[in-house]
Amino acid sequence: MLFKNLELSTALRPELASEESLLFVQDGVGLYEGKYKLPLHQNGHVYLTSHRICYVDNTEARKNSIAIDLRDVGHYDFYAGFLKSSAKITISPKPSKHLSGLVSQVDRLEFSTPRGSPSPGPGNWISPIPIRVPSKPSVTWICSICSFSNLLSPSFDINTANQNTVLQPCQTCGIKPTLAHVLKAAISATAQRPAPDFQQSSVVLNKSHDPSLTQIKEASFQCPRCTFSNHPSLLTCEMCGAPLIASNQNVEMPSIRPLSPGPVLERLEPLSSVEHEKIKLSFRAGGAQIFYERLKGAITQRKWLLTNAPPIPTPVSETDSNKSGKSTPGPESEAVGIAGLELLSNERRKNNATVINSAFSDLEALIASAKDIIALAESLSKKTQGSSAKAILNESVASLGMSATKDMLGSDALYLSELSRTLAEYLTDDRAGVLKNEGGIMTLVDLWARFNRKRNGVELVRPSDFEKAARRWVPLGLPVRLREFKNGLLVVQRHDWTDSKIVGQLLAWFQEFRIFEPVQPVPWDWRLFGRGVSAQEAANHFGWSLGVAIEELEMAEDKGVLCREETPEGIKFWENWLGGNEDKLL
Amino acid sequence: MSQSAPPADAVVFPKSHSFPPFWTIQRVPATRQTQFKHWSNTIQLYCRTLKIWRMNLSDHLSSPLFHNYKLDRWLELEEAQMILEWMASEEGSKRAEWVNESSSGKAGDLAGRTTAWIYWRRPEEWADVIMDWIDSTGQKGSVVTIHEITQGEATTSQEFHGMDPDILEKTLQILIKRGKAQIFGASGEQGVKFF
Repeated sequence: MLFKNLELSTALRPELASEESLLFVQDGVGLYEGKYKLPLHQNGHVYLTSHRICYVDNTEARKNSIAIDLRDVGHYDFYAGFLKSSAKITISPKPSKHLSGLVSQVDRLEFSTPRGSPSPGPGNWISPIPIRVPSKPSVTWICSICSFSNLLSPSFDINTANQNTVLQPCQTCGIKPTLAHVLKAAISATAQRPAPDFQQSSVVLNKSHDPSLTQIKEASFQCPRCTFSNHPSLLTCEMCGAPLIASNQNVEMPSIRPLSPGPVLERLEPLSSVEHEKIKLSFRAGGAQIFYERLKGAITQRKWLLTNAPPIPTPVSETDSNKSGKSTPGPESEAVGIAGLELLSNERRKNNATVINSAFSDLEALIASAKDIIALAESLSKKTQGSSAKAILNESVASLGMSATKDMLGSDALYLSELSRTLAEYLTDDRAGVLKNEGGIMTLVDLWARFNRKRNGVELVRPSDFEKAARRWVPLGLPVRLREFKNGLLVVQRHDWTDSKIVGQLLAWFQEFRIFEPVQPVPWDWRLFGRGVSAQEAANHFGWSLGVAIEELEMAEDKGVLCREETPEGIKFWENWLGGNEDKLL
Repeated sequence: MSQSAPPADAVVFPKSHSFPPFWTIQRVPATRQTQFKHWSNTIQLYCRTLKIWRMNLSDHLSSPLFHNYKLDRWLELEEAQMILEWMASEEGSKRAEWVNESSSGKAGDLAGRTTAWIYWRRPEEWADVIMDWIDSTGQKGSVVTIHEITQGEATTSQEFHGMDPDILEKTLQILIKRGKAQIFGASGEQGVKFF
């Protein structure tokens, strides 16, 4: 139902549709269905785009990644976290389709809601817990810390329970109850079994407090320094100016747990789910607040509706009408030949001018007509194709959509890993073929220059951040790798671009010299030895930069594949007949 | 050295001699090792053919051994010294020995080292060769003068004909140690008795 399969890019990021744009990324997120954790989706990145919420698992990204279309989201709520429990965002599916399902659940629960007329809106906070464990009567205990009524785990047996029994901590505050407390609750529950309605209604009573509690939490965002309750959209405290997000994360960082105490769903596959359950995103590394704000914005904007929408009306139509008022309608059809063509191109130029004028007149209009501007820029750059700078411009407008910016990401570490993924995507993108055009290898500095140029002067990446991001490729398992040559030169390569592959290419090249006669006669036996090449020749042949060529040749020399000859013209590299192939030399 | 030595261009150099990188001391240790091995073989071959027992580097730098005129490649004195130094080491199985080793002082100091004995056979090996010759000619127990061994008409067909007196001296010392020879007589007119 709610969960959809997710296509991932080479860098294990969600593949975005053409209209889709990335809004926010957060790591350390786990998923819940209702109150139950989804065991395969407990540690991952969450990408909020204009169209979807994408969960990308950290360990099994290809297998366990899922997405929720924002279009299917009916209601969403923010829960700020309490004591040991992490901040959560609850997402309910749109109720219209699932109305019947809710009715049946409500019926079976026999709650205070009047039979037959359940309110289908998001205010329906009925928990389907009794359905989850129908075999056993539901036993609840009230947490003495936060007075949340918890469901007693079905494995808990009053008869065998002793001091060593492992007790589930409170699902809200994470504090473990005392055995006596739980026993008391269990005994009273068994005593009241003939009248479970009472017990259930007490659950409902507690539940009905929940939304209000959430509301309070949502309305205020407590400053960690001065405890002033700020509006949630503020980034710094109104009172003392302390950064709310950063300190919030600092506060929450130690509370990241490998295992949260909530019950785990037995079922592994959420995709097969037919039940109509709320989905919870648990933000164990913080960032829930911003995520919530951005989610709110995205759902308000409803970008997905625009996919097939007609273009936004622009002042062009006005000028058109003015024009048609002056001239007779349809002059194009009358004019033929060169005059007609000229008229046509004139029209087009005027049209372009109005698009540009209206777009840059104010920011709102620019945002609204971004699509037109990009199309225009593309067509203009196509007209002047040939120069590489234009190609880069072309490439840059095409890739505006998928870029990680610092503003999009809360923490530095996350920014770096997202930047790392963005870079890997950029490098392996077949359309641009950045790495391919460079002969499969390029220096990090070249890449940095090209990447920042691609960003059109906006959100430029600092060199230090860039290097750090590049160093994360291998730990993140991305298809590119950073290699450091002996002299400290940093280069970027495909991850499968190994030394032995380079050596193979070099040897194949050297073999040619023993087959084809050299242009100028040489005093040695070229059939036996071939000839020596300079680093410059190798750079030209393989499309490498000179620095890379020198390093690769010396790498091959170190491996004993090549040897060197120092001549007055410079160093030349030869196939190494000195080592190994002794027979040939005697 | 010897009047009967063949001309220098009679030496057939191995193919490595016409491989241009052979003339650059290699940077990578493993490659340099094999390069020196090739050089050692080439020098031994050259000296054996031309009966050079004692090589003065400055005399030979312009010889076809250290200068390939066809390729227009040559070795500098320091490079030639490095190779001989390597040949004199354990690694190069002691195929050379600096003539003034004791007086030149510290090892590795190449400044004064210009002359070396080239051992295409080491003194121990010469000892065996001479003993074989003594055996095959039935001269055991008889006295042979040193002049007879190196310059005598009976040895013109032998490899040790024209041997450097110092190398012969080393060889005979080895035979004495083995108890196979005894030297007597005044210097200049020494005789050797083989057992």
